[in-house]
Amino acid sequence: MKKILIAVVLLVGGVQAQAGIADKVVRSRAGGVDVITYRTSIKDVVTITGSLPAGDAFAPSNQAALATLTGMMLDRGTLKQDKFSIARRLEDVGASVDFSVDSQTVDIRARCLSKDLPMVIALIAEQLRQPAFPPEEFERVRQQFIGAVRSSIEDSSFRVRDAFNRALFPAEHPNHPQSIEQMLQSAGVATLAQAKAFHETHYGPANLVLVFVGDISDATVRKAMTAGFGGWAGGVAPLGGPGLAPPLPPARTETVVLDAKPSVSVLLGQRTGLRYRDPDSLALRLGTAVLGSGFTGRLMSSVREREGLTYDIGASVSDDTFNDGAFAIRASFAPQLLEKGLNSARRELRAWWADGIKADELAARKQNLIGRYQVGLSTSNGLASAMLSTAQRGLDLAWLDRYPDAARALTLEQVNAAIRKYLDPDRMTLVEVGTLPAAAKP
Amino acid sequence: MKSLLLAAGLLAALLSGPARASAPARPVVEGFTFVQSVGGIDEYRLDSNSLTVLLAKDASAPVVTFNVTYRVGSRNEVTGTTGSTHLLEHLMFKGSDRYNDPAGNSLKQYLERAGGVYNATTSLDRTNYYATVGRDSLEGYISVEADRMRNLWLHESDRQSEMTVVRNEFERRKNDPDSVLVEEVIAAAYQALPYHHPTIGWRSDIEHVPIEKLREFYDAFYWPNNATVIAAGDFDPVNLLQMVKKYYGVYPASTRPIPAMYTEEPEQSGARRVIVKRPGQLGTVVIAHKVPIGRDADQAPLAVLDAILSEGKNARLYRELVDKGLALNAGAGVNVSHDVSLHLLYASLAPQAKHEDVEKALWAALETIKSKGVTAAEIERVKNQTLAQQAFRRDGTAGVVSELNEFVAVGDWTLYARFPQLIAQVTVSDVQRVAKKYFTEDQSTTGWFVPTSAGQQP
Repeated sequence: MKKILIAVVLLVGGVQAQAGIADKVVRSRAGGVDVITYRTSIKDVVTITGSLPAGDAFAPSNQAALATLTGMMLDRGTLKQDKFSIARRLEDVGASVDFSVDSQTVDIRARCLSKDLPMVIALIAEQLRQPAFPPEEFERVRQQFIGAVRSSIEDSSFRVRDAFNRALFPAEHPNHPQSIEQMLQSAGVATLAQAKAFHETHYGPANLVLVFVGDISDATVRKAMTAGFGGWAGGVAPLGGPGLAPPLPPARTETVVLDAKPSVSVLLGQRTGLRYRDPDSLALRLGTAVLGSGFTGRLMSSVREREGLTYDIGASVSDDTFNDGAFAIRASFAPQLLEKGLNSARRELRAWWADGIKADELAARKQNLIGRYQVGLSTSNGLASAMLSTAQRGLDLAWLDRYPDAARALTLEQVNAAIRKYLDPDRMTLVEVGTLPAAAKP
Repeated sequence: MKSLLLAAGLLAALLSGPARASAPARPVVEGFTFVQSVGGIDEYRLDSNSLTVLLAKDASAPVVTFNVTYRVGSRNEVTGTTGSTHLLEHLMFKGSDRYNDPAGNSLKQYLERAGGVYNATTSLDRTNYYATVGRDSLEGYISVEADRMRNLWLHESDRQSEMTVVRNEFERRKNDPDSVLVEEVIAAAYQALPYHHPTIGWRSDIEHVPIEKLREFYDAFYWPNNATVIAAGDFDPVNLLQMVKKYYGVYPASTRPIPAMYTEEPEQSGARRVIVKRPGQLGTVVIAHKVPIGRDADQAPLAVLDAILSEGKNARLYRELVDKGLALNAGAGVNVSHDVSLHLLYASLAPQAKHEDVEKALWAALETIKSKGVTAAEIERVKNQTLAQQAFRRDGTAGVVSELNEFVAVGDWTLYARFPQLIAQVTVSDVQRVAKKYFTEDQSTTGWFVPTSAGQQP
């Protein structure tokens, strides 16, 4: 067996290292905005990604829908032009600019040809700085938001994550979503004045990050950024805080019963107390990948491949960009296989936690993570996303070059110690969403 | 060997004469016939077994996406074996003679060590297997991928465990009422063509298809002369062709002809309707029309029409349905297929909207185009968007391969390069003509998802 493993290692090469990203990336402020530019060999195309902290977590508790309603108004017209004019300018050249609202951030995604970059930057600036807030558009946005929230009520994938984060994180934590009832109630009574005030308070360049990757010149970007964003002020800081291991509640189970759902969605996990940038985070992530990443992860190998109990099962660490996050096993099971599937998942979880991972698993997973990471950097979108998340995580961009070595340097002891230190299978929360078998109903 | 190949390439360049002197020198590898080059993509055929090879070189990052497309999909299934193509796709990961879990060198073990991004997909007309890997891991992947073309393990024990996996995949789709609605609309629109049944199959077929049938399926369709290899990324074309020959050249072409699917869809003789009732919150309306095969010249004006209907805030469906509070979203598109394709027009209802009103609004959008046509400005906008899309799709190797894979399934990979040119030639009258020709009520199949109750409360 040992010889075979050695042979496999020799057969496999990773992605050849590219020149250092830190050597080519340019990061500085332009127009008050944190601007990151990275020129690649692709011709004519620019990918833009960015964020500013004005997501749902910033909405007052009695105005749960306000952050999303405000974000939805960004593409509904500015003080200079209506929404159709904005859309026409983009559509005429095949460009796109999209805004979306996440728990912590308003996310910006755009793509265009290089020749249109100054126009696109000017539009992004105009939409972020000067939304017109037309009353008739606010009413449309209100109805569309209510419709989207109502649609999500029947979405088992959404409901399981929503219930899980509500169960794990206390109400004051940024990862704690407001309830669907709160969202609907707030959307029904929100006013245009409140949305304008939210924009005035939370939107600004202070913590706005924009990443430009592709066929660009840093000078062109900076000139357009200065022209578009110059003179703008304000903005708020992300809702962060130290990563501290919180006291874990006793194990518990929550169920959300939905009719006519032949597959039950499941999350089993806990808070980690770790942010991505904390020292033990990478070790916990690597250990978690051994349990639940890919087809060679323990969960897929046993619960899907050997036992055939599910189409999808895995484990990951998430929601740790700005603040401490969560560890979770996710899976889906037919109602009649739910109990058996959960028993198998718990068996693998306990063995992984109690016995730790093995040296060959560590070596294989290091290669996997480093290889996937480098494949992920082979597109403009992959590069831009990696740069944005690195900036959001509070790390310098040289981290993108250091990551492979940091993963390579992890020892078996470090990984197994992190698993034991931050997780406790006896104090995890289980959330089940779907048409549950009678025996599983509370 | 390399110098001989280079010499052969030089000879070919000299023979091509002055008129072609500026054309890029194409690699010549013994055993391959160069077929054509379209849009920067070179097609070769492996002489010994008729394997088709498409090469799209792009050295912008040190990665390669390698894919093999088998021209077999759910269109090749019949009652009792529905879902077999997809179930077989799952079993293709269970090991082959040289590469398997017990040996410690199975496909997933190799690719996950290499950090490869890999998967497989099945659709109406094709099944494909692919991975994006660092260029240094490419040969290892080709070796594993080629071995399972003819040396797959097909064990009953694997079928049993994988059947429940696939059944859960089936069940997960049933969680979504819109997914159920579209399946039922498609089943009503197609009566005779095997597109009638969903690619994942009927539940009872998934559960009971015997391993012998899957073996028959594998032995009928998994041959080099029924496959196209596609590579995009940072590779040396000569080396890549040599690798393809080394690992795929060991197989002969199939001794029996690849089974043909000869069923034709009868003419539809009146409007059809489908209603799906399940617990839920908001309704959906879908209107389907059969349109020509994916290689037909009318696909380009149909694509332009769909962009005018559904791309962006100036799209007609946005203005007429979303902006007027009838729908949360609305769109149009063709499920482009090898045989008779299906055009879908859809809208998700806004909370207070009625199905009847949304259906009328969707029809009104079509009727306006039929009676008044579209504007030159709308056509120009779509053409500019297409030009931009051509540039965008050069970003990354996986996207190139994915698109090529779909055009291979349709039956003409050169459409990957030619379709944007066909779009550029579309006129205002073309769009009006196809709208009149295909979008008649008698040829329609309309589906409603009707929530049976207020559904679950939050």
